[in-house]
Amino acid sequence: MSADPSVLPEDVVLAVEGLSIGFGGSPVNLVDGVSLTVRRGRTLAVVGESGCGKSITSLALMGLLPHPPARIGHQSARFQGIDPLTLGQRAFADLRGDRLAMIFQEPMTSLNPVFTVGDQITEVVLRHKKVGRSEALARAVKILNQVRIPAAEQRLSAYPHELSGGMRQRVMIAMALVNGPDLLIADEPTTALDVTIQAQILSLIEDLQATTGTAMLLITHDLGVVAETAHDVAVMYAGRIVESGPVEALFADPQHPYTVGLMGAMPQMGRREGRLLSIPGSVPAPALFPAGCRFATRCPFADDACRRSVPPATVVTPGHSVSCWKAPLEEHIVR
Amino acid sequence: MLSFVLRRLAVAIPTLVLVSMLVFGLQKLLPGDPVLAMAGEDRDPQVIEQLRERYGFNDPVPVQYVHWAERVLQGDLGTSLRTHQTVTTLLAEKLPPTIELAVLSMLIALAIGIPTGILSAVRKGTWTDHLANVVALSGLSIPHFWLGILLILLFSVTLHWLPAVGYVPFGGDPAANLVAMIMPSVVVGGGLAAALMRHTRSAMLGVLKSDYVRTARAKGLLSPAVILRHAFRNALFPIVTMSTLLFGELLGGAVLTEQVFTIPGFGKLIVDAVFNRDYAVVQGVVLCVAAAFLLLNLIADVVYMLINPRLRRPR
Repeated sequence: MSADPSVLPEDVVLAVEGLSIGFGGSPVNLVDGVSLTVRRGRTLAVVGESGCGKSITSLALMGLLPHPPARIGHQSARFQGIDPLTLGQRAFADLRGDRLAMIFQEPMTSLNPVFTVGDQITEVVLRHKKVGRSEALARAVKILNQVRIPAAEQRLSAYPHELSGGMRQRVMIAMALVNGPDLLIADEPTTALDVTIQAQILSLIEDLQATTGTAMLLITHDLGVVAETAHDVAVMYAGRIVESGPVEALFADPQHPYTVGLMGAMPQMGRREGRLLSIPGSVPAPALFPAGCRFATRCPFADDACRRSVPPATVVTPGHSVSCWKAPLEEHIVR
Repeated sequence: MLSFVLRRLAVAIPTLVLVSMLVFGLQKLLPGDPVLAMAGEDRDPQVIEQLRERYGFNDPVPVQYVHWAERVLQGDLGTSLRTHQTVTTLLAEKLPPTIELAVLSMLIALAIGIPTGILSAVRKGTWTDHLANVVALSGLSIPHFWLGILLILLFSVTLHWLPAVGYVPFGGDPAANLVAMIMPSVVVGGGLAAALMRHTRSAMLGVLKSDYVRTARAKGLLSPAVILRHAFRNALFPIVTMSTLLFGELLGGAVLTEQVFTIPGFGKLIVDAVFNRDYAVVQGVVLCVAAAFLLLNLIADVVYMLINPRLRRPR
């Protein structure tokens, strides 16, 4: 995606090249050479099944991955004109909650049970902005209104256990957005919620993004969520980005066998015939990753070359790139 | 809040009655006979019979209990069979040193145990943590009386800094009282600090892994705020429970420590009373300690309500 000439440099909020993360003494990188670009007012979705490394990628970008034991390496990173991954703990903390914010998967446990909603929102304002308590409270009320929490003023004195899961996630979103961050990282923000609430939260996030222009990095395993919310998508498998591009292009013309498999595994409305496809096998343990393409153990097209060497990212159409020796895939499909 | 306290007090009363029955009943099962102990060497059967009649020992046990309970409700805990002082006098005399020792030891335990527990959890796996654990384990395993004797050898016998024995009432000479209480409080408090440290550490380790602590870090809060405001507030619940239990135990008297430092407290009173089959005193002391325990638990419950909004009634 970084090769896309249509991307203006001033639109890029976060650009990371070659991010690798390993743990302890293991020589295998759980996240290997990941490159991501998130643009102003747009949402980049990182999709993959659980354990593919998408969550630790987001934690590393937030500076929340303790290292050691984690080993974090990267070629370059740019956020706000600086490389956040080289920052010291204090400087990174100054960024977090202010320019860079995050919401998590579990709204039920992500709020502190012993503090009121008002305390938890004003806390992040007072930490980063030079304002008094009354101004912080005013901002808290404003943001609670924006995330469509009814009777916002009364909610300030509510404790998390007095709110439903959907309401708690709204509070989390309010807390993340109250300082007007440039980038919001959302790690499976709707996974723990009921389906109807999921749709509400997703449309809320979309609306807020439209009004604030915040860039968003959305971590999810749900292609439905991607299709609904994201502009760009990066498909991650076993710690590597295997395919990335604009959502429409990627959904219309998936090039990586894994992406194709993921889409086959997605249920569709209206289509009754046939069964859902599943990708044979499971993700190998990190120690058993093949030297070449990590999908080779499950790929119907894999040959010796695939197992031996890592496929480079090749451009399919501007902005859409894939890391597969067999791309374009059409040539290998016998009809 | 008031209705909560009243409800808890109402529950405490049957508990107290049950405790009193148990104490009264179990004591009758103890081998030995107080009358024989009182009658002395001669054991004149007539004297023994007289004594039995006088103290009501010939009545059935439930009748004895009811008589005793009636008097207790009127504030009369009976008279010591040995010293012939009233039990209330004995309690009033022995309680202050025990309470003082308990309070001072607890303060020392809290002041040492909680900070080291937090530090050890935050620095888990580092040499700070290992050192704290080794010290805590030693604190838990070294017998109090032995540590007391060592301290006396060092600070009293060798260095002459502190008095070895001799309790001075606080009312008499507060300064001398506090000086005399330093070593016993350190001995008892040190052991408790170790227990508290271990509890604080494990509570903090659990809380530090929680999602809301990660949220606090994601808000850009610095470590002191994350650890003390967000984590410790939630780790407090088990610490309050533990502290209450420890303090309750202290009110029963630190028998060996009181012995080593010759502090005229509850511990010595109850041990002497048990050896002498001094029923009235044993019953009075146990009832008093049980009441204190119940009161402490009530206080702990109120503290819980104050620190845990989930226990408060929803508005």
